[in-house]
Amino acid sequence: MIQRNEIVVLEVTTDWYLTLAAILFSIGFLGMMIRKNALIMFMCIELMLNAVNLTFISASKHFGQVDGQVFVFFVLVVAAAEVVVGLAIIVSIFKKQSSASVDVLNVSRG
Amino acid sequence: MVEALLFFGPASLIIIGALIVIFARNPVHNAMGLVLTLVSLAIIYITLNATFVAMVQMLVYAGAVMTLFLFVIMMIGVDKKEQTTESIKGQTFLVSGVFLILISLLAYVAISSDFKWDLWFPPVEFVAEGTPQLIAGVLFTEWILPFEIISLLLIVATAAAIALAYDTKKRNSSA
Amino acid sequence: MYLEVKLELIFLLPIFLPFLSAFFLFLNKKLFNELITNFFTLNSALLSFAIAAYSFTALALDKFKPVNVELFQWISNPDITIGFTLDGLSGIMLILVTGLSFVIQLFSTSYMEKDENYCNYFVYFNFFVFSMLLLVMSSNFLVMFFGWELVGLSSYLLISFWSKKPAAAKAGNKAFVINRVGDFGFLIGLMIILDTFNTFDFYKILQNTSGIAESTITAISLFLLLGAFGKSAQFPLFSWLPDAMEGPTPASALIHAATMVTAGVFMLVRISPILQHSKIASLLIIIFGLITALLAAFSAINQFDIKKVLAYSTISQLGFMFIAIGAGAYVAAIFHLVTHAFFKALLFLGAGAVIHSMHHEQDIRKMGGLRKKMPITASMMGIGTLAISGIPPLAGFWSKDEILASVFVNGGIYYFFWALSLGAAFLTAFYMGRHWLLIFEKDNGFEHSDVAEAPKAMTRPLLLLGVFSIFIGFINTPFFHGLEKVLHVTLENVEVTHLPKGITLVVLAVLSIGAGFTGLIIAFLLFGMELHKRIDLKKFKLESPINLIKNLSTNVLYLNKFGNLFFVSGMKNLSRKVAVVVDGMLIDGSVNFVSTTFNKSSKITSTTQTGLVRNYVVYFGLFLLLLIALFIFTPLVPT
Repeated sequence: MIQRNEIVVLEVTTDWYLTLAAILFSIGFLGMMIRKNALIMFMCIELMLNAVNLTFISASKHFGQVDGQVFVFFVLVVAAAEVVVGLAIIVSIFKKQSSASVDVLNVSRG
Repeated sequence: MVEALLFFGPASLIIIGALIVIFARNPVHNAMGLVLTLVSLAIIYITLNATFVAMVQMLVYAGAVMTLFLFVIMMIGVDKKEQTTESIKGQTFLVSGVFLILISLLAYVAISSDFKWDLWFPPVEFVAEGTPQLIAGVLFTEWILPFEIISLLLIVATAAAIALAYDTKKRNSSA
Repeated sequence: MYLEVKLELIFLLPIFLPFLSAFFLFLNKKLFNELITNFFTLNSALLSFAIAAYSFTALALDKFKPVNVELFQWISNPDITIGFTLDGLSGIMLILVTGLSFVIQLFSTSYMEKDENYCNYFVYFNFFVFSMLLLVMSSNFLVMFFGWELVGLSSYLLISFWSKKPAAAKAGNKAFVINRVGDFGFLIGLMIILDTFNTFDFYKILQNTSGIAESTITAISLFLLLGAFGKSAQFPLFSWLPDAMEGPTPASALIHAATMVTAGVFMLVRISPILQHSKIASLLIIIFGLITALLAAFSAINQFDIKKVLAYSTISQLGFMFIAIGAGAYVAAIFHLVTHAFFKALLFLGAGAVIHSMHHEQDIRKMGGLRKKMPITASMMGIGTLAISGIPPLAGFWSKDEILASVFVNGGIYYFFWALSLGAAFLTAFYMGRHWLLIFEKDNGFEHSDVAEAPKAMTRPLLLLGVFSIFIGFINTPFFHGLEKVLHVTLENVEVTHLPKGITLVVLAVLSIGAGFTGLIIAFLLFGMELHKRIDLKKFKLESPINLIKNLSTNVLYLNKFGNLFFVSGMKNLSRKVAVVVDGMLIDGSVNFVSTTFNKSSKITSTTQTGLVRNYVVYFGLFLLLLIALFIFTPLVPT
């Protein structure tokens, strides 16, 4: 039973942010496994990258340094470049076949 | 109290957005879900004193990248509904297997540490404001080499994109 | 001294001169015709003999003090050097080998004419002379072993000289393999010697035999004995010698009568200081010598090939030499070696002349009555037959009698051995008489109109050897111990069995002469006057035993067949089994098993490569989780 003059303090420590990042990452990973559309898969990759960004920033706060945020920059730039190239590839693939499904691309089959 | 609210609100939005991304059928809905996730993430970045990064995220990610995505969605696959049945043999089994392993790992970690994360180092009390000055001070001195490489990467990516999407037939016929 | 300085190096020349001529002839094998080959080889042989005779004379004038030349020291801790020695024993062998080599080469120029590999024959011949000299002139066991092996090689080359004949090739192989068995024993003996004495040098070893344990001495003796058995065709390693008659007759004359097969005897006399200390070895030598002598003599009495009779005769006489060694009469053994070399070479060359004149017919049943056609050959071979039968005053009597007397002197069981040796002497006379009579006397009714006397190049060596066979016996009579003086320095530490004196000696001599005469007379009765055709054998029920004896003799007591069955077929079966089971099933099976396992497992693993992105994502996630689990469950300590 909570007493009235006590303030319940729910401290949001770094753990919470890391948990959030983990959950976001798992959702993104699950999505990658179950979706067939190439674009959707790309979006799931973005989710995972963002989870990583969140981890970096919370770590930056945890240690009181700003290096984590600098690193987020780099991840951001890489993600942007990757999206550009990846979408260009998807567009080229779509020109060849009329659907955006990745299941028909099994040329590298062993 | 405010901190908790500031955390749980955007957090729930993030999760909802992610779930929309992976479960929606219409590709535009997926893109919107992603935008929701990105914006909520920006809010969380602000609560973590990473103001500059939050702004950059809004501009680049939620602005440029998502616009790019929407362009491509409009170009291909807007009006086609995706099939829900799994066409690859054994994929469902594998996926559920991996997911189960994941859940069990997380549960194990959570339970074995009594819901307290064993972070090796205690939090530092100093609050690092993510101001542009501070970030620039570190970016252009300590992290100059990755910065240059990143610039190179951008140029390469641009060139690659143009090369990939270049339609030689149309070009030649119009010349 | 002037003589000594010159002697040091000059006696090496006869060793290397044959090698040089062999090499020179080998290089020009295809260029030289017969005349040039004859020129080179005969001159080099004559030169070798001249230098050898000179060296021996110089040695004799120096009272047979051994001359040692060390060419270079190979290893210093176990003292192994390459060196040669000239002492009484090696000097005798030197002049014997070089002299006979010259005479037989002279014969070969006529025998081997018009052969397509004429020059090659002389290459092999000279190479053999070189290896034999290496063997006898060696001053340590290592060089002797080199010579030993090379002699075996040359013998193989010469036996299978007419290599297109499968029988010749097989005979060569057989000789080499059986020799190898002996060499195996020789090699083990060498190892024990090196281990015991830490050197191979003869003089160092033979002067230090006193402190060594009896078992080691016996072991060394036995193993070296095995080597001697192989080389000198004693029982059980003798069956290669009759087969070796596939080679050219002059080669047989040199190798399988006078020189190579006596290498075993020579080696045993060389190691006599060691051998004398081991009673077991001496006993074994005399027993095996007796078995060999009797067995070979028995087999010779019903052989039909002109050369095979002589081959068995050689084996039998070698048995006599071994009997002498076993009885401790080392001088007698060498004496018999020398006399046997002469009359056996004579007999072989005579057989060669007969074969040549009969256009390569070798069955003596088809000859007969050749005395009128080939008088010189007949008389020379007659001299040889008398010599080998031990008729005085020819050479064979003196040496054989000395052996028999030395055996008798030892007493005890040696009386029995003496009686057996006497029996072998009797058989020797018998089969040699039969041999001569069937070739030259008995007229079988065959037409021999085209048979003429052999050419001069063949008869001259026969005459020379005939003369020697008559007179060579006088070098070591009981009245003049010439050979004993020669070997005195070599055998100075050795207890040599001496002849009995007085009336015993005379009685023994009479008995051995009697044995010889009896053998010849019985041969004459049976084959000269054909007595057995006049007596009705069925009356005395003698026909079947005589037929049995005849069969056993011809087939060498079926020992060859037994050896073939047991060793040859047995080995072939064993190798077939090993090839099939071990090699085929086990080894191939396991290798194939590995490869099929690889194939199957790779087929299974390749099903994971589907080429689909989503599958790969799953694999990626799986291993990522594995990595995370690794981090969770291993106790990482924060630094």
